[in-house]
Amino acid sequence: MVLSRTQRLLRAFAAWAVVMLFVFPIYYWVTLSIKLDREIFSIPPKVFSFETSAKSYEEVFGISLGFEEGLAVLPGGGDFYMTPRLWDSIVIAVCSTVLAIVIATLAAYALSRMRFRGQHHFVFWILSTRMMPPVAVAIPMFFIYRDFGLLDTYQGVILIHALMNMPLAVLLLKSFFDDIPKEIDEAALIDGASRFLIFRKLVLPMAVGGIAATAVLCFIFSWTEFLFVLTLTQTGLKTVPVVSSTFVTSTGTAWGNMAALGTAAILPAFVFILLVQKNLVRGLTLGSVKQ
Amino acid sequence: MASVEYENVGKSFGAVRVMADISFTISDQKFVVLLGPSGCGKTTLLRMTAGLETIVEGEIRIGGERMNEVHPRNRDIAMVFQNYALYPTLKVYDNIAFSLQVRGHSKDEIKQQVAWAAELLNLTPYLGRYPKELSGGQRQRVAMGRALVRHPQVFLFDEPLSNLDAKLRGQMRYEIRRLHDRLQTTTIYVTHDQIEAMTMADEIVVMRDGNIEQLGTPEEIYDRPANCFVADFIGSPSINFLHGEVQGDGGAPVFRAAGMTLPLPQHSAAAPGQAVICGVRPVDLSVSADGPVKAEVILVESTGAESHLLLSLDGHEIRAVSQGRVKARPGEVCGLSIDPATLHFFDAASERRID
Repeated sequence: MVLSRTQRLLRAFAAWAVVMLFVFPIYYWVTLSIKLDREIFSIPPKVFSFETSAKSYEEVFGISLGFEEGLAVLPGGGDFYMTPRLWDSIVIAVCSTVLAIVIATLAAYALSRMRFRGQHHFVFWILSTRMMPPVAVAIPMFFIYRDFGLLDTYQGVILIHALMNMPLAVLLLKSFFDDIPKEIDEAALIDGASRFLIFRKLVLPMAVGGIAATAVLCFIFSWTEFLFVLTLTQTGLKTVPVVSSTFVTSTGTAWGNMAALGTAAILPAFVFILLVQKNLVRGLTLGSVKQ
Repeated sequence: MASVEYENVGKSFGAVRVMADISFTISDQKFVVLLGPSGCGKTTLLRMTAGLETIVEGEIRIGGERMNEVHPRNRDIAMVFQNYALYPTLKVYDNIAFSLQVRGHSKDEIKQQVAWAAELLNLTPYLGRYPKELSGGQRQRVAMGRALVRHPQVFLFDEPLSNLDAKLRGQMRYEIRRLHDRLQTTTIYVTHDQIEAMTMADEIVVMRDGNIEQLGTPEEIYDRPANCFVADFIGSPSINFLHGEVQGDGGAPVFRAAGMTLPLPQHSAAAPGQAVICGVRPVDLSVSADGPVKAEVILVESTGAESHLLLSLDGHEIRAVSQGRVKARPGEVCGLSIDPATLHFFDAASERRID
């Protein structure tokens, strides 16, 4: 299709407009974290020109960035040294993603390639575990965790996040494995390879794109999950979403601090996604079989 | 090298019965083609031979040994798939070497065997490439190399040429057959292409709806088709069928249909009054101006070397193939002569051949 100059310009403009629409809230959020408190609520809002300050970051992470001396005590008081909370989030998100992916990949391969009685029901059951709203299981989970001594532990949160991610990961990965022709497995079976060797050496490298995509979804879920972390942890650990809610206090909301933590929390997720996104390419099966 | 025997083999997928009571033997070193339309059970039979489908009913023996419970890797067979099924993450060398690698052969031996197979298939310059960097024909050859390198007892081919273009298909047909003549390995080849079957096979097994319709050499199947289905399936353009009746006509019985009378072969089992179908291949009809049977020309197609005519014979459409060019135009009437010796007669009810 040949586009005229006007059409091309119009298309570029439309594309940029959509991008801006989506990026603006993030931009505004980031500016909040470097604004002074009095400028956060100024009317009209100061979008581009305002006085910058690292104060929010210094307060949230308990570090001095060299701009101002000392630390202020914020309304509501309490522990605002958030660096360990960021670390909690990273450990939980990475570990729960790895756990979910390892188990889900094996399960999805088996579901994609092997046949057993009641398989359809089994797949449906996996999916159905996601149908119950988390709120409905939060309280029972609390008692179970208490009895098993999992409350307020990394293992506990990692487990529940992996568990929450597993159904979706299994079904997603199953569809990726279904896309890989089963003749490849069959050819390798005849060639003398074991099921596990086929999985590890042939199928897994072809599914890298799908695994990366699934991992990103799992990571983001765990990174943003609120309810279970809130109910299943006490003082030992807290993830960023839960801890940022503590900025809302009876005497006011520390918007600048919340924005600073939120902005800092974008970074690890961004890095993780950047690392796996090079694998987010389809077409790895190209050339294997005639489509 | 080994023979392959099928004894009362049957197969059902759930409630669907796809194959019943298949029994035949493929002798050592033979090139056998399983031929039939889609869904006739030929691929299922091949997959059962390979061990990719379970054998619940009957028995399959390779080299005299029962294979029902034997794992595919221990059957000493190699299979070439319709879509090649190459390993996309491995280079051509490793694709070919894979089976030897997983079976723990020594590096030197693997190198030697891969070099041999690559040489045989003209793949030597491509060993360092990935499958996606090869053309369709080259991929097909890699798939064959993967099968060759192990020197299996039996080769299984599952419609290996159906994804290639017509010219390449002709060439690969010839190469596969030549390879067989050189290696003398028992080969089972599945196809729905009757040209492939006729040109490559030592023996053809014609299948329909999970049953064997006829088993024989290509010549037997072409010259003496066992029933209407086989007669119709083999030969291009397809055979013409004329529905008619055997009549006494005083002396020898004759066949009457479409306004013509044709003599039956001597000692024919057809009885007067019997409804029969007469099959006549288009190439056995000779078109000439003075032929005794008159037919109206509907369409003339020239393939270059020969002309295909669509004719109307007393309201029935029939096809004829004539060597060289035919000058007839649509609407004109031309003459046909039929050699009674080339006719095939089938019972109208059972569609079986009458000799």
